[in-house]
Amino acid sequence: MIRHFLHTKNINAISVLSYFISIKDDGNMPISLEYKAKNELLQKFPKIETCLKCNTCALVCPVQYAGFSPTNTYVNNIFSSREPEKNPNIWLCVSCHKCEEICPYEVKPPEVIEALKDEAFEKGYAPEAIREEINQVLTTGYAFPIFQSLHFINRERERRGVEPLGERKVGEIRKIAKKTGLENKMVGVRPR
Amino acid sequence: MTERYAFFRGCFVPVRLPQIEAITQKVFSDMGVSLVNLDDFTCCPEPVGVGINDKMMWLSLAARNLAVAEEKGLDIITICNGCTYTLRHACNALNSNKQLLNKVNETISDTGHEYKGKVKVSHFLEVLKNEIGTKRLKGAVEYPLSELTIATHTGCHLPSPKEVMKFDNPFDPTILDDLVAVLGATPADYDMKTMCCGWTLMTYGAREGAYALLKDKLSNMKLAQADCLTVVCPQCFYQFDMGQWIASRKDIPQYNLPVLFYLQLLGLAMGYNLQEIGYDSHKVKNPEFENKIKMR
Repeated sequence: MIRHFLHTKNINAISVLSYFISIKDDGNMPISLEYKAKNELLQKFPKIETCLKCNTCALVCPVQYAGFSPTNTYVNNIFSSREPEKNPNIWLCVSCHKCEEICPYEVKPPEVIEALKDEAFEKGYAPEAIREEINQVLTTGYAFPIFQSLHFINRERERRGVEPLGERKVGEIRKIAKKTGLENKMVGVRPR
Repeated sequence: MTERYAFFRGCFVPVRLPQIEAITQKVFSDMGVSLVNLDDFTCCPEPVGVGINDKMMWLSLAARNLAVAEEKGLDIITICNGCTYTLRHACNALNSNKQLLNKVNETISDTGHEYKGKVKVSHFLEVLKNEIGTKRLKGAVEYPLSELTIATHTGCHLPSPKEVMKFDNPFDPTILDDLVAVLGATPADYDMKTMCCGWTLMTYGAREGAYALLKDKLSNMKLAQADCLTVVCPQCFYQFDMGQWIASRKDIPQYNLPVLFYLQLLGLAMGYNLQEIGYDSHKVKNPEFENKIKMR
């Protein structure tokens, strides 16, 4: 599997070599024995235990550019800390699912990282950018910040010959958010 | 024969990249496909920020969007990998799980919508490839881009996870290359083709990492003699265009590799000029590329 993968055009010998040189071995267990919710996590995602630490996932992870090796993001960096849900690095995961596709043992790292994010969000550890983005969706119906009013955006749209944007159905989004309980979780976020 | 689709524009394109929305409308109407704007659509919602933190909210909002198109009897066409990812995940989850569907419909019942499971979600690449077909696409090309070598970047959320998206091989994507070849251009074979664009690193706090990623990707494209690169997702577009511009002011070399949305390239091949496809708003411009376009 790995040999086959290495023969595809995306990974050459140099990148593999430079990757292995970049691994920092800090002697941590892949899943910290101290992590309180470990058993719960293993029960929920039993596939974690089949992880061989073969590092195949690490080769394809874009987070390797963020200053630490991806072995640290998934197995070490995240699970070796006492409270992985507090680890700010979980938020760098793009959910690109490349690790999931390449894994020879069908461990699904994104599922675990998503579960940790979920837990972190519940406990209020999510970074401002994430909370602000959700707030943005709830209050405007757009995921990206509308810095100025729609008027400003519509001026540019008019110049490009597309019809102006209107307000989105925020009322309906709020109704859904009330039912799912997200609105309560968002209490404390600065209202717009 | 006119085909009609509900045009799911998402958030990023209408707000920040209206030129792409404009060229999408032009290109599809030229090919006899009408894209209908529905005012009731909201954010899809965005998968990495909202999707992960509240699954129920994610599914419910997506189901509401699906229901909006369903009520008009239209299938959805998207121009963003993220929107496709969210809506197809929702379709997949809701169509295969009756219990979940009932729960989600109960959640959105206050809004007066109900999703019945009859909507098909297609990324515009799928519409071009499967519905319109390369034959018709070839017929629409009046000015082949034969001077150009183009590096393609399909992005992450369209091909993966493959059991849900069912689009292309995530480790050797070929669909975009084939569609670039239809325009008469040569697809560039470059290293690190499937690596992410780095948008999330850039937006969620690891800017230096994003610059390093861009540097590797762009230098590989340059090595493969690419004149420009093409993307099918507005976030990738923004990252390669604005990101490249920002990164070039830091310590990475000036690659000056223009970025074009695939539909902009199609527009060029159909005879629109650089101004009409919105090239004037791009951050990264390259006179060599512009000359090759003028020579087409």
